[in-house]
Amino acid sequence: MEFKLEAHRIVSISLGKIYNSRGQRGGIKLHKNLLVSLVLRSARQVYLSDPCPGLYLAGSPVPPPQPGEPAAGPPAGWGEPPPPAARAAWPEPETPPERPAGPDARRAVDAEPAAPGAGDTLQGGEEPAGGAAAEEEEMETGNVANLISIFGSSFSGLLRKSPAGGREEAEAEESGPEAAEPGQICCDQPVLRDINPWSTAIVAF
Amino acid sequence: MLGPWCSPTGSPAPLSCETGCGEGSWILVCRLLVPTQVSLLSMEEDIDTRKINNSFLRDHSYATEADIISTVEFNHTGELLATGDKGGRVVIFQREQESKNQVHRRGEYNVYSTFQSHEPEFDYLKSLEIEEKINKIRWLPQQNAAYFLLSTNDKTVKLWKVSERDKRPEGYNLKDEEGRLRDPATITTLRVPVLRPMDLMVEATPRRVFANAHTYHINSISVNSDYETYMSADDLRINLWNFEITNQSFNIVDIKPANMEELTEVITAAEFHPHHCNTFVYSSSKGTIRLCDMRASALCDRHTKFFEEPEDPSNRSFFSEIISSISDVKFSHSGRYIMTRDYLTVKVWDLNMENRPIETYQVHDYLRSKLCSLYENDCIFDKFECVWNGSDSVIMTGSYNNFFRMFDRNTKRDVTLEASRENSKPRAILKPRKVCVGGKRRKDEISVDSLDFSKKILHTAWHPSENIIAVAATNNLYIFQDKVN
Repeated sequence: MEFKLEAHRIVSISLGKIYNSRGQRGGIKLHKNLLVSLVLRSARQVYLSDPCPGLYLAGSPVPPPQPGEPAAGPPAGWGEPPPPAARAAWPEPETPPERPAGPDARRAVDAEPAAPGAGDTLQGGEEPAGGAAAEEEEMETGNVANLISIFGSSFSGLLRKSPAGGREEAEAEESGPEAAEPGQICCDQPVLRDINPWSTAIVAF
Repeated sequence: MLGPWCSPTGSPAPLSCETGCGEGSWILVCRLLVPTQVSLLSMEEDIDTRKINNSFLRDHSYATEADIISTVEFNHTGELLATGDKGGRVVIFQREQESKNQVHRRGEYNVYSTFQSHEPEFDYLKSLEIEEKINKIRWLPQQNAAYFLLSTNDKTVKLWKVSERDKRPEGYNLKDEEGRLRDPATITTLRVPVLRPMDLMVEATPRRVFANAHTYHINSISVNSDYETYMSADDLRINLWNFEITNQSFNIVDIKPANMEELTEVITAAEFHPHHCNTFVYSSSKGTIRLCDMRASALCDRHTKFFEEPEDPSNRSFFSEIISSISDVKFSHSGRYIMTRDYLTVKVWDLNMENRPIETYQVHDYLRSKLCSLYENDCIFDKFECVWNGSDSVIMTGSYNNFFRMFDRNTKRDVTLEASRENSKPRAILKPRKVCVGGKRRKDEISVDSLDFSKKILHTAWHPSENIIAVAATNNLYIFQDKVN
């Protein structure tokens, strides 16, 4: 659970970086954006593979996570992408069970998934500020899943519809499906149209 | 430290094998600011320019982002030291000559020449601005009285000639002293112009401009040992140039995939072998190094050797890929080893062993648990460089908080030093620094959370034959020297 929130946070930070890179002097930096996209992909994999608390208890050898005590680690295959069928079937109703566990799980999020117990004290100060945003973002899990699948599909998914400065990277993708509205993300799945601050920023990108 | 460093005759003694980085016997020789700041200060405070170079000044608000040093490089004799900055300017410092009266002043560097190498440009076709920041400077070996260097920004490489002029012709027949043409009717006598001494003037002229060959951002340039060619590398391609030909270059490496969706790695640095003009290496964002032989084929997409260390699964995290990206690769002077720098370590590889490095040095492993925060503030993308000393026995690289680290490959000892005004006086021995990782913090130690991540040392240089180092800290250039006993 903590890993999903951590992954969620990293996804939002990464998307912010990609968004900001559009206005950077000197054009889009290919190297940096590639690295950010790799982080985004890793976070997506963790996000989609980390089972929700309900499933965690059923038959899992690892005890359920306690507040302040991060779990020993995600399932061994956290680096592997989940089967496409599971991804497409990402359920929306998962949101309600998360909410009660939210505040407690958030407290426990202070370590990298691969280094449980190694506290990241630099994040301590940021917790209160991040907490409020995370609470708001929790409500939008369904949209997050859509966005993650969009951005995680490929490197070019991030660079589609980038400004003229990014044309050199996007030159291979002009044959991709175009959305009717300008500025919307090109993707196979229906593009989200909900109006909320977070996804509006992504749609603008 | 043992062994004589600079014999009185001025020719540096060869570095003995007992040398190492020791217990901090480095002294600060001088701290240099870019000349515009020096002149502003001298106008305001009426201080002799030489004193400015040697004294310590309080903080001032003149430093701008354009003054941030982006590259540092000694020339092949170590007499000259070039810096490039974000504003596109190149400043060359020259070592002060040996003088009997002031023996202790040898080793100091003073401004020799300043010129604007690159200007900001706008690519109208792609609607993007091209930064004037100097990414790299590389010197050519000296072949006549003039000095030549290559400087590059993201898109264009330029060859500059730096030459001295200390004589001026006087007594022309057809023009007057100001250069204006004289009325032929007034000329009644004939004379031979003579060369008269004048104040030394150093002028820099662009001799070649190598443009329009890179779609992506140039990250490296490297002069070949044949002194006739050089290469420039961007994120996806490496081009080979002849110094005489500016309108075309050979593409020798191209890793751009047919479908950009399949892009998984980029080129991060490239360098020619110091002796074999057919061999070069390039590093990737995946932490691998490829060695290529230009004799094998025209396009060196197939490497001759492939250096990669298997990943340690216990260190896996969201940011494993970022921290394994190599930011710099350097051949040893001997040509037998290569050194690579990734975010947390420096590694030395033997060219004959591809499956793992022969040495790994931890630069600042205490940052491993802070990677998420460093990702947030973008520090994780910082590209640190690394350098060898003249005898390949010591390697050096930078860190945060104006710290830089030296690793002695023979004694396996390492030292952390700081380049900052507050903590060093001229000619005083630098005190080794220590970062406290956890638990009780001892006196003089600094805790990880107190580190200033805005003060980063990305660029350093080591004199080719002496123990003199140049360390760039934001807009300051520090010159340190091994203490002469």
